[in-house]
Amino acid sequence: MWLRLTRSPAFRTLGPFVPVIALWWVLAESGLFPQAFFVGPDRVVLEFVELLRKGILVGYLGDSLERLAYGVGFGLLIGLPMGFLTALFWRLRKAVWPILLFFQAIADIAWLPIVIVWFGFSLTAVTFVIVYTIVFPLMLSVVSGVEQVPKELIRAARSLGAGRVRVFFEVILPGALPSVATGVRTGLGYGWRALVAAEIIVGTSGIGFMMFDARRVGDVSQVFLGMVVLGVLWYMLDALVLAPFERATVERWGLVRSMEDDR
Amino acid sequence: MTALVIEHLEKVYTDSYSGDEVVAIGDVSFTVERGEFVSVLGPSGCGKTTVLNTVAGFADPTSGTVSVDGREVSGPGPDRGVVFQGHALFPWKTVLGNVVFGLRMKGVKRREREERGREFLELVGLAGFENRYPHELSGGMRQRLGVARVLANEPAVMLMDEPFASIDAQTRRRLQEDLTRIFEERRPTVFFVTHDIDEAVFLSDRVVVLSPRPSTVQEIVTVDLPRPRTWKAAVDHPGFRETVARINGLLAVDAVRDRDGAGDQESDGSAADVR
Repeated sequence: MWLRLTRSPAFRTLGPFVPVIALWWVLAESGLFPQAFFVGPDRVVLEFVELLRKGILVGYLGDSLERLAYGVGFGLLIGLPMGFLTALFWRLRKAVWPILLFFQAIADIAWLPIVIVWFGFSLTAVTFVIVYTIVFPLMLSVVSGVEQVPKELIRAARSLGAGRVRVFFEVILPGALPSVATGVRTGLGYGWRALVAAEIIVGTSGIGFMMFDARRVGDVSQVFLGMVVLGVLWYMLDALVLAPFERATVERWGLVRSMEDDR
Repeated sequence: MTALVIEHLEKVYTDSYSGDEVVAIGDVSFTVERGEFVSVLGPSGCGKTTVLNTVAGFADPTSGTVSVDGREVSGPGPDRGVVFQGHALFPWKTVLGNVVFGLRMKGVKRREREERGREFLELVGLAGFENRYPHELSGGMRQRLGVARVLANEPAVMLMDEPFASIDAQTRRRLQEDLTRIFEERRPTVFFVTHDIDEAVFLSDRVVVLSPRPSTVQEIVTVDLPRPRTWKAAVDHPGFRETVARINGLLAVDAVRDRDGAGDQESDGSAADVR
């Protein structure tokens, strides 16, 4: 019975959180911190129900996700082709690489002041920051993915009659996929964090805005709720979409690696 | 009719670290007739893989020419299929997907290419494995698939780069016998690189013995063994033992020279071969 329980996917997903929530509750109930600074899970759940009823949470969540979708969409649209171009053309790479490292060093949030000057407190400003955060790690992982494709596979394809374009679609693209998948996953993670940061500063709505606004009015439970929502949402996105996609490609790649090792 | 002509091939590398010039291939000339099995044999580091890479079009010669069916080679092409030591199968494609790859590149229709693919899988003893992936196959089976993938494409020459070097001894004997059988059945033109004297003599019509680096053709030995060949018959055949002994003698002279001079690494970009 116990064994069946520990093996069920629901338990494996939620199980690790049980002690965390318990500890949280104990801390809140102990009265170690004043209620104004530290609320327990019960208060957060009440707040959750309250905001859900008012429709604020759903609206803010929708706003945040819409921004993320725009940011990620444009980020992938720019990052993937740029990454492959940089990876494939040696000259371009030499020219672009220092620039890439330079801009990667400027934190996404460091762009906010100037972005607000340019675009105001708008969706464009938030999108810009997310795109910026996603593009560079994505490009770097595409380049390393292309580099990982064994040269012999390209040679094999060429000597079976594949031209350069076919080699790209038949060999380089599938070969680079695992690394690209990892890049998309980490890029999205960065984007998610950048979104909240941008909303705190630029926002007029959204989860990040909700948290910061609650701080202003001194409602700590909304801040806590915001943090929980962020964590849960990301966990769901990662566990349901990104991780399976990455696992499928990386596993396949792992098989390639082991094939090369045992020769 | 001559399928492959190599004329005064020379390859000089510039060591990117020290700037020294390394002569990998001094002067190599020989031909392979259509339907002939020719092995290139030499001590390690003699540049035999470099010769193969030049024929395949993976490397450009410093001077000299390579012609296949009368056309001079520049860059890789489907007329010269390569069987790699590390098999180089596409891990994301099934066995059938790998075999028909070349036909697909040629634009052969699906039904026809799959039919041909199956035929060649049958030939190499992989019938029934169509929907498996390369990682599910043993080392020997992967190399059979490598051979089928090239043969299905019907190249003018099949280039084989030490294909059995990393396979255990028993399986290697089986693969050599099967390759001989396939060769006798289909008569493709084969250019085979190896450092195993027995293997070269057993498989080949002629053996090109290269000297140590900078490599030149030391001698071309004609193997006078009846076909069909089996290991059982070959080891008892006085001609087989004589030829092996003769080539052994040729290479033994080199071994002495090798100690005084040339280094022992394959002076080629294909680092995979060193492993």
